Amino acid sequence: MPVVENNANAIPEDWEPKIIAFCCHWCTYTGADLAGLNRMNYPANVRVLRIPCSGRMNPQYVIEALNKGCDGVLVCGCHPGDCHYVTGNYYARRRMMIFKRLLEYEGLEPGRFQVKWISGAEAGKFRDTVMKAVEDVRALGPINLTREIPYFELPAMPDDDEEAFNAVPEEVFPEEVNA
Amino acid sequence: MSAQEIIRARAKELLESGEIATFIGWEAGRFTNQTTPLVITDAADAGKLVFNEYCANTLAKYVTDVLARGKVGLVVRGCDSRAIVRLINDKVIKREDVYLVGVGCPGMKDRKTDEPLKKCTECRHNNPLVFDEMAGENAEKAVPEDRFAEVKEVEAMTAAERTRYFESIYAKCIRCYACRDVCPCCTCRECFVDQRRENWVGKQNNVAENRFYGLTRVMHIGDRCIECGECERVCPMDLPLMKLNRKVIQDMNDLFGEFESGLVISAEPSVLTTYELTDREEFM
Repeated sequence: MPVVENNANAIPEDWEPKIIAFCCHWCTYTGADLAGLNRMNYPANVRVLRIPCSGRMNPQYVIEALNKGCDGVLVCGCHPGDCHYVTGNYYARRRMMIFKRLLEYEGLEPGRFQVKWISGAEAGKFRDTVMKAVEDVRALGPINLTREIPYFELPAMPDDDEEAFNAVPEEVFPEEVNA
Repeated sequence: MSAQEIIRARAKELLESGEIATFIGWEAGRFTNQTTPLVITDAADAGKLVFNEYCANTLAKYVTDVLARGKVGLVVRGCDSRAIVRLINDKVIKREDVYLVGVGCPGMKDRKTDEPLKKCTECRHNNPLVFDEMAGENAEKAVPEDRFAEVKEVEAMTAAERTRYFESIYAKCIRCYACRDVCPCCTCRECFVDQRRENWVGKQNNVAENRFYGLTRVMHIGDRCIECGECERVCPMDLPLMKLNRKVIQDMNDLFGEFESGLVISAEPSVLTTYELTDREEFM
């Protein structure tokens, strides 16, 4: 099997990067809220998930997100020294530094896992971070890891289409009955 | 007297005097070049104990199993003593729970190939660091020049090659959890993989789930790993697990200062459970 450098050359036409942002409740989530209040535009590819503190960030969340189908993960918290719980992000800083290197050692591109400190007042920085993350991941293409479940298109379910659901199948009822 | 004779004599004396309740050592296996860990409670069994160049198993983790019977005596080489220090620092056992008979270790051999074991060629502390008495003299052994040679080998590959390399490892893993069971750092009462209701990791055996287990294992033990290499030795699929452990250790070395775990008994927190205000800032 040839080694594929990355998926950047084979990006499907309608593909959109899916990015999950783990945001600290006290700073980044508030910052994201401020970005919304200020009517700032940023790509809708990012899904914001609130965590109590960046110190709560479990490395397992990142692996699970990548396994379950995200193309990139963003972890955001208060600036060191500003943590609501005083020291949470200092622990997060050490842990994420080690974990980022470990993921890159396993072949993950650096752009797919980003950590940023964004305070509650830095709505612009939140927007810029998200825009940069989406840009980075878009350039990298779909993730190059073997995922949990191979992606396949589900067939249309009967209840998607009311008419098809109520239709009488022809083979069940022969012609003479319908007539 | 050879180390083996001293071990036998001391085990007998200690068990007879009632100072210890159990003694852990090795006994001869079915083949001449094979040994297996042995727990004795009767002084009359002390003659079964052996010490030769095929004593591959690290004994420290067995202490947690037999501690309920009372004070445990055991033979410690470098790796065993570091594992004991690890257990004491993790507050799994107390120093007074164990009586350590130290023995100098010249490096053990693989019973199948008769070559030195990989974990022994990479070992940096072959003589016990913590002991109550020594059986015989310290042994001489060559110390590897570069502790992180195998990590650098992997780092030299391109990112895509590394992805494929590690995915081939995870594809082989059968998730028998032998690496966890043997690890002196893995002493949680209930491991996250056994918490079926929380379902941290699924029951399927596939690359993604195995990666989840493998990376989590490394992050859990990373800052406490004593580099005994037991995980790699017991792996039935011969996966190079120390390449992952040593990567974390190398990074901690670079970022937070010289790191080697399990050398001294201390109450200091391990590297990832503490912080410095002056840590490097990469995420601004």
